[in-house]
Amino acid sequence: MIAAISWRNVWRTRLRSLVIIMAIAIGLTGGVLSVGVFNGLAEQKMRTAIDTQTAHIQIHQKGFTDDYDIHYFLKNPDNILSVIEMDNRIKAYSTRTISELMIRTANGSAGVQLLGINPEAEKSISTIWESVVDGAYFEGIKRNPILISQKTADKLKVRVKSKIILSLLDTDGNAVDAGFRVVGIFKTSSSMFDEATAFVRQEDLQRLTLMEGVNHEIAIKVNDPEEVTPVIADLKSNLSEDLQIESWKEVQPELAYISDMTGQMNFLFLGIILFALAFGILNTMLMAIFERVKEIGVLMAVGMNKMKIFLMIVFETIFLALIGGFIGIIISASLIIWLGNQGINLSVVGEGLAAYGVGQIIYPQLSGAFYLQLILMVFFTALFSSIYPAIKALKLKPIEAIHG
Amino acid sequence: MSIIQLNNVSKIYNPDTIPVYALNKVNLEIEEGEFTAIVGPSGSGKTTLLNMLGGLDLPSEGKILINQTDLQSLSSKQLIDFRLHNIGFVFQDYSLLPVLTAKENVEFIMQLQNRSKSEYEKRAMELLKEVGLGERMHNRPSKLSGGQQQRVAVARALAPKPKFILADEPTANLDSKSTNDLLDIMKKMNKESNITFIFATHDQRVIDKARRVITIDDGAIVKDKINTAIA
Repeated sequence: MIAAISWRNVWRTRLRSLVIIMAIAIGLTGGVLSVGVFNGLAEQKMRTAIDTQTAHIQIHQKGFTDDYDIHYFLKNPDNILSVIEMDNRIKAYSTRTISELMIRTANGSAGVQLLGINPEAEKSISTIWESVVDGAYFEGIKRNPILISQKTADKLKVRVKSKIILSLLDTDGNAVDAGFRVVGIFKTSSSMFDEATAFVRQEDLQRLTLMEGVNHEIAIKVNDPEEVTPVIADLKSNLSEDLQIESWKEVQPELAYISDMTGQMNFLFLGIILFALAFGILNTMLMAIFERVKEIGVLMAVGMNKMKIFLMIVFETIFLALIGGFIGIIISASLIIWLGNQGINLSVVGEGLAAYGVGQIIYPQLSGAFYLQLILMVFFTALFSSIYPAIKALKLKPIEAIHG
Repeated sequence: MSIIQLNNVSKIYNPDTIPVYALNKVNLEIEEGEFTAIVGPSGSGKTTLLNMLGGLDLPSEGKILINQTDLQSLSSKQLIDFRLHNIGFVFQDYSLLPVLTAKENVEFIMQLQNRSKSEYEKRAMELLKEVGLGERMHNRPSKLSGGQQQRVAVARALAPKPKFILADEPTANLDSKSTNDLLDIMKKMNKESNITFIFATHDQRVIDKARRVITIDDGAIVKDKINTAIA
């Protein structure tokens, strides 16, 4: 009966209850939608980085990533590849030869990290071939083709089939200039990556640097991203200790930080919204208590004990908050699902998003677990909001309450 | 047998500055089955006395025994429980829970006593029929007239099978017909079931029906009259 009274009390002052219910619903919808967008941004940034740059796992010779010295190449790569091939959790891999160098044309120069790749193998671990916006992915030019970004092409004022000069040092430390022809121009959603990266065929780079058959990096994709850690553990136990075997989170710690922080920030953000809403709920309940002073006094007089009075107010507050919470969750979940399919076009801030490493269309997303946690947060907000009004009610003395 | 016994009961406000005696050394005994009216002008102390009898207020001096239980010996929790099982209240403005139906208002008090569902449902229906509201038991108070609401309040007061009913100006908001109907119901219950009713009232119609009339003034009982003409 206590719960029934509380439920009916919610609808006693219908307009006031609806106002606070809608405030909760709208506040939550805004909060959840924002969190969905933040999540979508973080997820997209992570996915872009994994798909175009890091893959899931990278193997280097220890010391290589300190300053990308080409002399720190992978020793005994055949052994490494045979271990990788034996692991059926690994979906694909690609070997890379890497050199940091200058690209020059008559119009200017740019410093880039040049990745010597096997174009076919690279397709299985990276989506860079899908990002080609002009020309083709290593097709149409037989001798020394190079794939550069739109940013670099604009900077050097070159087009597909334009000739550019690569200036680099070979393994003996000699300066080498080599002519390459632009085979294709790519554009990913990360302007930073685009600005700093170019691709050539692995054998061309190996020939230029006098490092035939040399690999600096093996990039690996696994079937299930959840298996990255155990796969790394097994690779470490089966391969030389001179190797640096890292997950994408270790290769780009800022990505891991974004991934971890997004979750925490989302709850902090929602916590702040709910904290603000808590005061609205508290105010509504205080008004309800002040209106019912005599009624509560009568209940105390006729023998309703303090625990039941306390529960009556707590239940009413929880009902009020949960109704608003459920409405908010239903609206926001529907919007998240819809926008998650349609995407939100943020081309007006496209430049900024590209600098952040994501595309112009954001797909908000949230997990089912998030909504469960949100319901718990709403429940505890209601509990928190109910305590002060309930204590206020308990402090009433029946004789004073009855006689006003 | 006395169910209520007041020994030298005083209620003093501002005892340390200018003491005001709301009740001054009141001695009173009320027997089971009485139909008693406490009368007096406004500010005479009749509401204070009623609050004392109901365990809503405790005396500054003296002792109140209800059914041999000293109210001052009870903790506030015990006092709430004591009221629930021993005292029925009827208020001037009915004080029903507006969100409950007539039947639920009557059942609610028995639920607080942890009675079984079948028991409280049966008793609520019986009581509402007894006060003439068998047909309207599923109406909420807002759909009932003042007289009907007060009859629900009487049924609610009777529901927990209390030792006595305290009624504070129960007819003040009622028209003559409703007042007479209500008093007839109460009188019938008093006669047939030996239920004790104690009223604080100004209403002459109530006073005329009371077998005992206690007049109080300036916090003291100035007259205690048994009307032998009333059965």
